[in-house]
Amino acid sequence: MRAIRTRTARTTTARTTTAAVATATVAAVMTVVAGCGSDSDSSASGSSSDVSGDGEVVITCATCQESPTDPFLQYNYEAVERFNEEFAGTYRVDTIENANAGSSDDRLQYYQRLALADDLPDLFQLNSGEVKALQETGKLHDFAPNLENDDEWAGTFHDQAFDALMGSDGQIWAVPQQRDAIGIYYNVELLEEAGYEEFPSTWDEFEDLAAELKAQDKIAIAMDGDWATMLMWVNLIGTQPDGAEFLGEGIVESDNWGADSAVVEATERLRDWHVEGYVNSDAFSGDFQNAAAPYLTEEAAMVANGPWFVNTNLKTDSAAPGLYEKTGYAAAPGWSEGDQGTVVVSGAGWVSGTTDERKLEAVEAFVKFVSSEDEVLKQAAATGANPPVKVDAAAAEDANLEPLAVGLIEEAAELTYRYPHVRVHGPAGFGTAWKNLWPAYVKGEMETDDFLQRLTEDAASEAAG
Amino acid sequence: MSAPTTSTSGPLRPPDDERRAAAGRAAGAGKATAAGPANRTARRVVGTKIPRGMRGPVAVSLLPGIILFGTFFLVPFFVLVATAFARWGGLDFAWIGLDNYRRMFDDPVFYKAFGNTLFYAAASMFIQVPLGVAVGMVLALRPRGWRTLRTIIFVPFVISGAAYAVIFSMFYNPRSGLLNNVVGALGLPGDRDWLFDTTTARWAVAATFVFIIGFVVVLVMAEIASIPSELYEAASVDGATTWQQLTRITLPLLRNVIGTAILVRLLVDIGMFDLVFILTAGGPDDATATLALYAYRAYLNGEWGYANAVGSVILALGLVLIVTVRRVFRIGERAL
Repeated sequence: MRAIRTRTARTTTARTTTAAVATATVAAVMTVVAGCGSDSDSSASGSSSDVSGDGEVVITCATCQESPTDPFLQYNYEAVERFNEEFAGTYRVDTIENANAGSSDDRLQYYQRLALADDLPDLFQLNSGEVKALQETGKLHDFAPNLENDDEWAGTFHDQAFDALMGSDGQIWAVPQQRDAIGIYYNVELLEEAGYEEFPSTWDEFEDLAAELKAQDKIAIAMDGDWATMLMWVNLIGTQPDGAEFLGEGIVESDNWGADSAVVEATERLRDWHVEGYVNSDAFSGDFQNAAAPYLTEEAAMVANGPWFVNTNLKTDSAAPGLYEKTGYAAAPGWSEGDQGTVVVSGAGWVSGTTDERKLEAVEAFVKFVSSEDEVLKQAAATGANPPVKVDAAAAEDANLEPLAVGLIEEAAELTYRYPHVRVHGPAGFGTAWKNLWPAYVKGEMETDDFLQRLTEDAASEAAG
Repeated sequence: MSAPTTSTSGPLRPPDDERRAAAGRAAGAGKATAAGPANRTARRVVGTKIPRGMRGPVAVSLLPGIILFGTFFLVPFFVLVATAFARWGGLDFAWIGLDNYRRMFDDPVFYKAFGNTLFYAAASMFIQVPLGVAVGMVLALRPRGWRTLRTIIFVPFVISGAAYAVIFSMFYNPRSGLLNNVVGALGLPGDRDWLFDTTTARWAVAATFVFIIGFVVVLVMAEIASIPSELYEAASVDGATTWQQLTRITLPLLRNVIGTAILVRLLVDIGMFDLVFILTAGGPDDATATLALYAYRAYLNGEWGYANAVGSVILALGLVLIVTVRRVFRIGERAL
């Protein structure tokens, strides 16, 4: 009897313990599962203001995290610190750690998902292609009224600074962070050794130079099958009479880019540079560092990229000693004498996903802060990117801006052609389609017509979502 | 460590302590086999009755597992299957019946991706697994330095796929990669772009993983260690050569583990993504694209329903492979 009682007691104890453990486990799991559905760091765009106890309006920024590798993110981080200090007690920007803060293929999807969940950050950055895609969610704030209500602020921006960031009905979905001319870096010494005192002014001359460099066992122009290659394709199209029109409109409207003779000629000429051996043999990797490396080690004489290349590559330890001093930065040659041109882009812009009035006040205060003369000069010094606003010449000189970039942006105003990058107006799927098809085309596995037809279709279908 | 050179010790003789343990297991197994069908029935688990008072706590204890399984498997599974019949781009949703599948089966790129996926799976099955089994059998002979070799062979298996892909993208780099340097040093043309030439791209990608045999090697070595040494001793007494012992005792007894290795590799390969994504992004001209990458592209385009339709094909392919490989290799059935 005593044994039975003991056994019963043990069973009861075991039962109680099991139940307690099970209940605790279930509670823990439920907490974890419930936690998966929300992001405590992000704020719902439609929610009421986050106002701290002392009345400070708090907004979130998804592209303001500290970054040792991305100078733009690092600038944003430091700008937020300055903003928070200046507006302490009134506004504060809280940083969201975001794996998609820098440029990545997933970034648009990430923000589209947040838009669907009505959970966009109050402040973040998108490039012009992403702005076009995300505006369809109807969740982006339109800055047009803000600019209309403040003529003085609106007047500080360069003409056409908003072009790539606008909606079809005049909405302004983003406030530009930069306005840059993108040119071609060249090694002055290598060009001189090839018999060229100045950068070629026509594509024919450019090819003569390339042939001479090849004869000297140098890579004429470094490419990557992606960004740097596309830049040269755009340059070859944009420096033709109707090229800028194609890059602005035709690239979206046309159902076969092969029907445009400017595109066909540009495409074949670029292909021929590969066939002739003017480019690096790893020109299809899709990794810009494979284009940067031969330039930095002086194996290649030229590489196309934006002004940020100076800080991210040219002035780093990866560059050969003294390379920066012997580097020039030029506009693209023309198809005929005097017809040079350059890519001009607005780059990334500040966007907002909030609809809360008080938060929008804070957002407006922040974008005005970062587009002030003082801040754009700080940004230019930190990133090499040129200001989207007009800057007093004396202040610019005092700020010691990167002379290569400043020189090209000044030269751009005088050039025959200025045109956008394919990523500004082109279909969002262009990059993926290009990387996939370009190597096969260059290696002769498809004709130009076939390549351009497929590029048109794949770029469009891959953006169709 | 004893060198397995004499025929009496068998070609794959485990060390003494392991052999004793294996002999014990073999003795147990022998009894069960000798007992015939009745004993097999006796060994079958027929279910354990839960005491009446414990049913509540047991049910509660199972609840976390059920919740996790439901949340992270069942719900995504049903979402995938259901939305495969929908146009779902995040911004819109509409049922479209079989349109996603019609589009998929009309798309030549889908067939390329499907073919590539099967190619990678076949490369695993016909190169990686046999190679792993062979190396595992050799290492089970405990040659000098086998422990070091086993570690070296296993290390690539624990390196992340992404890191591995980056290493191989440098290895294949046509300008500065090791491969072209070696090829060039041999007097052959050393400027081939292995990853971005449609004739070599698929093979170059496959070559990055078919030699990662650590998993199969370890699996095989563990299985060999459990084979009773008495089998080899008996075979030696009957005059079987080392080769005969290897092919008529060891290999048949590895059937289960070879089937498992093939199954695991196939299931990993039909979902192959990171390696291809980093090495070639599916190019050139989709020559290396896989079904998972094809689905990812659709997902990136906001075509979530279409991506899930592709996902359902991967799922179906996985089920077919599981059933087929299990049947062919009779996985789960006792080898002895």
